[in-house]
Amino acid sequence: MKHYLKHALILSSLVPLLYAGMSVAAEKGSALKNDSLRSEPFADAKVTGSFARGENLEIIKKQGAWLQVKSAKGSGWVRLLSVKRGTASTSNQAAGVLAVASGRAGTGQVVSTTGVRGLSEQELKAAKFNEEEVKTLESYTLSADKGRAFAKAGNLNSIAFKNLKEAKGGTQ
Amino acid sequence: MTSNSTLTSIMSTHKHRLISTLLASLLGLASLQSAAFDLKGALKDAVEKEIGQKTDSQTSPTEAASSTDSAKANSSTASSEPAFNWKNPSTAEEISLGREIAGNLLGAAPLVKDAALQKYVNSVGRWVASQSERPELPWRFGVIESEDLNAFAAPGGYIMLTKGLYRKLQNEAQLAGVLGHEIAHVVKKHQLKVLQKQQLLSMGAGLLSDKYAKDNALISKAIGSGAEISARSLDKSAEYEADRLGLSYATRAGYEPYGLAEVLQTLGQSSSNDASVALLFKTHPHPDERLTALSDSVGTQLDKITSGKTLENRFYVLK
Repeated sequence: MKHYLKHALILSSLVPLLYAGMSVAAEKGSALKNDSLRSEPFADAKVTGSFARGENLEIIKKQGAWLQVKSAKGSGWVRLLSVKRGTASTSNQAAGVLAVASGRAGTGQVVSTTGVRGLSEQELKAAKFNEEEVKTLESYTLSADKGRAFAKAGNLNSIAFKNLKEAKGGTQ
Repeated sequence: MTSNSTLTSIMSTHKHRLISTLLASLLGLASLQSAAFDLKGALKDAVEKEIGQKTDSQTSPTEAASSTDSAKANSSTASSEPAFNWKNPSTAEEISLGREIAGNLLGAAPLVKDAALQKYVNSVGRWVASQSERPELPWRFGVIESEDLNAFAAPGGYIMLTKGLYRKLQNEAQLAGVLGHEIAHVVKKHQLKVLQKQQLLSMGAGLLSDKYAKDNALISKAIGSGAEISARSLDKSAEYEADRLGLSYATRAGYEPYGLAEVLQTLGQSSSNDASVALLFKTHPHPDERLTALSDSVGTQLDKITSGKTLENRFYVLK
């Protein structure tokens, strides 16, 4: 009975999710850099178009590390990291469903605010050392072996990959 | 008042000041403005308190008082240890400093009372940390009671993220990316370096010993506009570096490499007016800038990595 209820709950929450998935088919995005559009989600697939940094795109779907997008000059697949979800800061009027829901507003410029915050600097400065909590935190410390066992249980295999370096010409 | 209790009160003042200085820099580590302001403020406070303290409780000649104060300030920093080597702290010193900071953070926001959650986060974190350049540290991870979106790292391997941020995560690869970013801060000693610089400056600015007094001209120059500029470039680049390394560690651990980028995408959609991200946005470059920088560094290097796992099926869902 309990299980049945749980399944029913999961199912009923999935339905709106699926609908949301469809409507997000029209999710807006913007290009973080100049890049090419490809016919398939592979680096060596045929180039079908291109877009420029800042250009608005329509995100059709995501597959692994790739996004299928529609630009003003055609559609195709592009690396996930070349696109930012939500609209470019210059055209907030056309903000997508997600952006509106999350309350994104204004120019997108970050300005340090001095308003009321959750975990504020003031709160943190006034905080008193809590020995008991640190001890609890420390009690959760795991050995490297425990970490390895956890990875194995999830079929995680460590791979060779060199640390990423700063892009030539700086980060901007 | 006995001389003994006077000593205690001086010591505790020192300790409080140290702690607020440490916390201020914990927060300010990414933001130039706040780091610079905190630095200035802390120095000013330190000097003022120093003067006040002396007139209140000390009658000995300035020079003698200064050097004893300096010694006390120094010794109180390492709690029970005799002296803290600020110039070149040992791993044990680094950990004890991190413990102090973590304990204060936990004083503001305690751990979420969910042992299964904490264990899960420690499992993921420990595995990712094992891919870093400092696998031997006693890494500890915690989810703290706060609806803000933020994560913190303190020297020596103390890492915490808020419940609010955890709630935004959708799978284990994203958690690995976030923890990887914080692990990188510890590996690169970003916070420790800020604290060292600040502490060494503050010791000098208080004119507490002859050794530091000599460099006075240099110091006041550094406290001026110079410190702000160096704090700025250091901190911004430290965040980008932590993003690159965090992604690298999570990738080496076998996770889908885009976890951190996905979290940045989510954070980028929060309004900068949203209180839950106010501190995060103040102390980090905007997520869009971080994504662009990450994208530029990645280039085509992730194209061939297709075996990465997201493991949403075992991702621990908050109760």
